[in-house]
Amino acid sequence: MTLYVLRRLPSLALVLLVSSILIFAVLRLVPGDPAESLAGADATPEAVEAIRRELGLDRPWAAQYLAWLGAMPTFDLGRSYLIGGTIDSLVADALGNTLLLATSALLLAVLTALVLGTLWAGTRRAWLDHLLTGVNTLAIGVPTFVMGVALILLFGVIVPVLPSGGVPREGLLANPSITFQYLLMPAVCLALPVGAVLTRYVAESLRTELAQPYIVTALAAGVSRWRVLLRHALRNVLPTSLTVLGLQTGALLGGAVLVEFTFSWPGLGLLFERAITGRDYPVVQVLLMLSVAVFAILQLLTDVAHAALDPRVRLGGAR
Amino acid sequence: MTALLQIKDLTVRFPGVTAVRDLALELHRDEVLAVVGESGSGKSVTALAVLGLLPRTAAVSGSIVLDGQELLGLDEERLRRVRGARIALVFQEPSTALNPVERVGWQIGEVLRAHGTASRRERRERAAELLAQVGIPPERARDYPHQFSGGQKQRIVLALALAADPDVLIADEPTTALDVTVQAEILALLRELQRDRELAVLLITHNMGVVADLADRVAVMRSGRVLETQDVHRIFAAPSTPYARRLLASVPQLGVQDPPALDVPASAPKSPPAFAVTDLVVDYPGHPAALDRVTLSVAPGEVLGIVGESGSGKSTLGRVATGRLRPSSGTARLFGTDLAPLRRSDLRALRRRVGVVHQDPAASLDPRRTVLESITEPLDIHRVGTPAERVARAEELLDQVALTRDHGARLPRELSGGQRQRVALARALVLEPALLLADEPTSALDVSVQATVLELFAELQRRHGFACLFISHDLAVVDQVADRVAVLRSGRLLELGPADQVLTRPTSDYTLELLESVPLPDPEAQRARRAAGRLKTSA
Amino acid sequence: MSAPELGTSEPLGDAEPDQGPRVRRGALLRGRGLAGLSLVGVVVLAGLLAPLIAPYSPQEQLPDANLLGASAGHLFGTDEVNRDVFSRVLHGIRADLLVCLIAVPCGAVLGGLLGLVASQYGPADVAAQRAFDIVLAFPPIILGIGIAAVTGVGMLPVICVVIGAELPLFGRLVRTATLKVRELPYVDAAESMGATRAWVLRKHVVPNILDAVIVQLALSASMAVFISSAMNFIGIGVRPPSPSLGGVLADAMAQLGTNDMYAIGPLLVIVMLVLGFQLIAQALLAERRHGGDAS
Repeated sequence: MTLYVLRRLPSLALVLLVSSILIFAVLRLVPGDPAESLAGADATPEAVEAIRRELGLDRPWAAQYLAWLGAMPTFDLGRSYLIGGTIDSLVADALGNTLLLATSALLLAVLTALVLGTLWAGTRRAWLDHLLTGVNTLAIGVPTFVMGVALILLFGVIVPVLPSGGVPREGLLANPSITFQYLLMPAVCLALPVGAVLTRYVAESLRTELAQPYIVTALAAGVSRWRVLLRHALRNVLPTSLTVLGLQTGALLGGAVLVEFTFSWPGLGLLFERAITGRDYPVVQVLLMLSVAVFAILQLLTDVAHAALDPRVRLGGAR
Repeated sequence: MTALLQIKDLTVRFPGVTAVRDLALELHRDEVLAVVGESGSGKSVTALAVLGLLPRTAAVSGSIVLDGQELLGLDEERLRRVRGARIALVFQEPSTALNPVERVGWQIGEVLRAHGTASRRERRERAAELLAQVGIPPERARDYPHQFSGGQKQRIVLALALAADPDVLIADEPTTALDVTVQAEILALLRELQRDRELAVLLITHNMGVVADLADRVAVMRSGRVLETQDVHRIFAAPSTPYARRLLASVPQLGVQDPPALDVPASAPKSPPAFAVTDLVVDYPGHPAALDRVTLSVAPGEVLGIVGESGSGKSTLGRVATGRLRPSSGTARLFGTDLAPLRRSDLRALRRRVGVVHQDPAASLDPRRTVLESITEPLDIHRVGTPAERVARAEELLDQVALTRDHGARLPRELSGGQRQRVALARALVLEPALLLADEPTSALDVSVQATVLELFAELQRRHGFACLFISHDLAVVDQVADRVAVLRSGRLLELGPADQVLTRPTSDYTLELLESVPLPDPEAQRARRAAGRLKTSA
Repeated sequence: MSAPELGTSEPLGDAEPDQGPRVRRGALLRGRGLAGLSLVGVVVLAGLLAPLIAPYSPQEQLPDANLLGASAGHLFGTDEVNRDVFSRVLHGIRADLLVCLIAVPCGAVLGGLLGLVASQYGPADVAAQRAFDIVLAFPPIILGIGIAAVTGVGMLPVICVVIGAELPLFGRLVRTATLKVRELPYVDAAESMGATRAWVLRKHVVPNILDAVIVQLALSASMAVFISSAMNFIGIGVRPPSPSLGGVLADAMAQLGTNDMYAIGPLLVIVMLVLGFQLIAQALLAERRHGGDAS
């Protein structure tokens, strides 16, 4: 098992390295001189030059890249052009907020998928099947941010029971029930697309699983239907469901950007959006790198989890 | 003695089709009742009906009484307690009958748990015991299904079925997916288990040899009904219904055929063999030495039968013949031309003289094209004649395979399996090939259909005079059509000679083993073999 | 032997071989298919005819028309700089449609070619698979941000992102279908009897994957509208004052409570497009599997 993980690490490192080079190089291609933008419209050439030297922009690219790379482990990521403040403190502030939002959404999505998915696969009632199909289609079909605006309209403006955006003034940890009110709509919004895809996947793969001969073997031997459904069939569907979840985390990352923007939730996604529209390239660079890193690690984790749950992958036995 | 299991007036209806009609069967303690029938006869549906495992769409009526208790209409929990503990079910595909991601010991334990064995340690011990009883080393309880062979998996399935000590065992085609030698072992195991536990066994099969080997009584089913039920000796000697008579007559028998008239081809003795390999070695990824120094040849107009079990390399040989696989070493010649150095365009010219028939009637034809279009395809590929001429030629062949113009306009899904194989034959012969590759062409067909297709094949071969590489695992079928026979095992050629010689007086031990493993559709002969100790034991 | 009913009897996966072209077209004429087609059709028509049916020009600022609510003269009201929202929405549709029209076919063709190449050469296949998996999982929005960082905001990054997101979808589709079809016995028979690879592609592979490609086109159109409107929404797409659905929606957010139709208008149109394409795809898929079961 540990061997399996260790074998994947070199390629992970490679991916991170290559992406860092790409991200770094690509942003250097951006037209315009960052030193000039920072200095302002009517700065003297000497002032611009001073800033350039301060930021190390006069050194060759390779040196700049290595310096940047070297600075990362110490989290000395530089300063933001626009927003002010060091990047690492900006990221640290935003990270907590995004983590809260993302984990709530993830939990919501997974729970819904397991419960609704199992119900959907197990039901013999046509009306339930149609209802779930309809709801599922809507959840996949309505884009995240559109749902966000609609929810704000409904519950924030027309029937104002929830705040239409932002975070509690006293911070997220002060009063859980108030935090909950602020968290509810964004978390649901973020959870919807992922949850819908996952629910559908669980339902479909469960149904396929239930058509397998070994299910008949178990039933014919007297194992109860519930146990067969949950312990045999559902359990077998988990590895691939986990992989699907892993693939969907990408959607979660992207969705976070949209949802945080819609609800003005001060997390990494909002930071990202402000940075790009404001051309704050150091911040963009760091956040892109972060996205890639998180993404790559998540893929590795899902692979590992899959292997842990499916012995055929681990032991390399082909039937 | 009253029957242990009594089925009366059983009718099972699905939307659109009635699978079982007024079925009546009786099964007694300590006996083996074989239920014989072709596909669509309703045998498997009956098995599922007994255990209450039919889908919701099935409408079931009638009576199924087990030891005085009516099973039909019983509530789910009581039925659950009957399943496994009183009646057990084993079916065909051992590779999918077991849960692929759980250890086999655990799976047996699940059955024990369902019927009251709460303690984990007890379950572990009992599971190990059960595995030992079926010939699997108990330490292997910790292994997963994919780590076992097909025969071993079937043993595990049996252990699982018998874990809760049922009185009745329903076995639905338990050996059909297994190699002949493995089948013999499993049959012996079944015998032993039945005898030791005095089980009542309902054996569902289409293989008359298996019936002759195991059964005490036989019931013949067709279209959802039981046509006749007889003692096993009487049914083989003198079946009373015409259908049963036809069924038994269709079964190919080993050693009973007249050697096909070896029309020594009038062609000049100097014409090259249709296909010849010398010291052929084929490796491909995952299968080193799929063929290991094989030397054989097929003379023009000759039918060479290739027999072997799974992994013997017979299909690989077929793929070399059509140029789909290149030799890793040694030579392969098609119509005298060395295949190895050929360019694709030259290969194409050679392939024009080859026809191919595959095993699976379901996928042997393009589902989107009509029968006629499928038959004209080879003509289109090689641009033979005008389109009108191609259609005419295709229709000619339709006649030769005893199908009508009307069939020509149909889609494959509108035809039966046997009809589809005939179309495949027609397509294979439309270019007047000098070599026909037939890879298990009748293995997926019912016995009576197989008989007609084989007859057709023999007639066409006589008429067209093509050489044929006939690949099959069924020795009796090969006996019926082949002039010479080659026996393969694990990529090696063990024996090669005239059919009647190889199949009655083989020189290789393995061939002898193969022959003795095939159950003869003759109960007296089987019993005689067993008495003489020549049959396999279950070990 | 089918499993006892632990679920509905709906067979999943490709249980039945393709029912063929005869039954395909009917899907769009009833049930979900018709609904989807209508939704999409209405919006597309509105967008195409925008210059003709919009009551005002999208940039026109009308005197005394600040944040008016919905009325007969202004179906969606007016915005904070006195423009008629309805006209802006109609013209905005064109921006998203343009992306669809350019990017989706480009992505499909490029992706299909990649998939075809991958299916023919072993090593290329392994590399392509890995690449497809990665690109597919990576969030398009972040990719969009990355591209916008280099090229600047506008329609270009949107088109690039959509093409990038499609490549692996069509690539994988074509690659898997090609490989699968080549393994089928009747194709094997044809090849053994002399068919060239080109023949097999033309006569067997293409007809077999045509249906899947059409379904994927519908799904991709849905996704293209999603990505386009999302990128416009957060401001890295079409530049104001050019109208776009996402852009108008973003502007509307600040005016919630004053003019709700300002938001509801573009919201509805986006949903109609995205959902419409999804429904079309679902109807075609259902038709393919069950040959006639459209609900």
